[in-house]
Amino acid sequence: MTEIQTLHILNKSPEHPRFTRCLSMAGPEDAVLLIENGVLGLGTASASVSGKLLALEADMAARGMGGQSGTVESVDYDAMVELTTRAQQVISW
Amino acid sequence: MQDSNPFSFTIVITGAPYSSQAPQSALNFAEAAIKAGHRVERVFLYGDGVHLASALASPPSDEPHWPREWSAFLEKHSIPGVACIASALRRGLVDEGEQKRYELSASNLLTPFVIAGLGEWVEGRMTSSRTLYFHGSD
Amino acid sequence: MSTLIVIDQPPYGGWAGREALDMAFSLAAFDQPVSLLFCGAGVNWLRKGQEPGTVRQKSVEKNLAAAPIFGVEALLADSDDCNRYGLEPGRLLDGVTLVRTDAQLFAGYSHTAFAG
Repeated sequence: MTEIQTLHILNKSPEHPRFTRCLSMAGPEDAVLLIENGVLGLGTASASVSGKLLALEADMAARGMGGQSGTVESVDYDAMVELTTRAQQVISW
Repeated sequence: MQDSNPFSFTIVITGAPYSSQAPQSALNFAEAAIKAGHRVERVFLYGDGVHLASALASPPSDEPHWPREWSAFLEKHSIPGVACIASALRRGLVDEGEQKRYELSASNLLTPFVIAGLGEWVEGRMTSSRTLYFHGSD
Repeated sequence: MSTLIVIDQPPYGGWAGREALDMAFSLAAFDQPVSLLFCGAGVNWLRKGQEPGTVRQKSVEKNLAAAPIFGVEALLADSDDCNRYGLEPGRLLDGVTLVRTDAQLFAGYSHTAFAG
């Protein structure tokens, strides 16, 4: 199982200043998990994240983005819990 | 699936129900953590998150009642739910003790939530394997 | 096990920044190492000459000046954001260290949190 340095949990829409800052801070050994309104920024995020990009299934489906799960690794809450235990540090943006 | 290496979590909720998704995401996360064999040591409500502990929230019957769902979850798993006293008093959330102290007309803290200071968060931060925050998304 | 509390909300128009300060002071009161990072619109907390009596709020200038006495290790401010808001070093409160908000900065702390 690969180690994650920092897991960034991003729940802000791409219009929020924290969205851009989070993406610019995430390094190659980090993972960014888009949840809630964060999933709306999937397109923007996949173009600029250097580490791993993941998105919460339920939040994507709720927003009619279930069909895009092929473009990103989609995870459920069980996997989200596992990610938080694998990461050295977790930051909620 | 039980995790072979159980973690303890402190969950901090700063987003209010019905103005953010935070209490809902946090509940889904906490349920999944327990299912995986981890421990949720404490839930701490801070800032607008204290509204989750209101006994007076009355959403329409076809909408989830997040305060009651959280309350049932905390009771089922004997997890302490703590609302920050400074955040709570400012926002009109009081238990019977604070009602008496400030001579207020009512109290409205939903059981099993209690009101306490930020020291509870500091302790969680020091003793849990992970402290996780669920913020509003504005 | 040092904590970085990040304030990116402007002062006075909301309470999240003030509640972030309370978190930092609370950690310091329990002898836990903590620093504050002001970035984005949050750098406006650090401007000299705030008179929030006009909006009936308490000034945080005094709190921040007392931060080192209470045990807050550092007041950090993002230098690019200070420039964006016209905060030249002379306009900043005393004791503020200018930094770049990047992965390297966050790597120096075991825990990073926003107040909301």
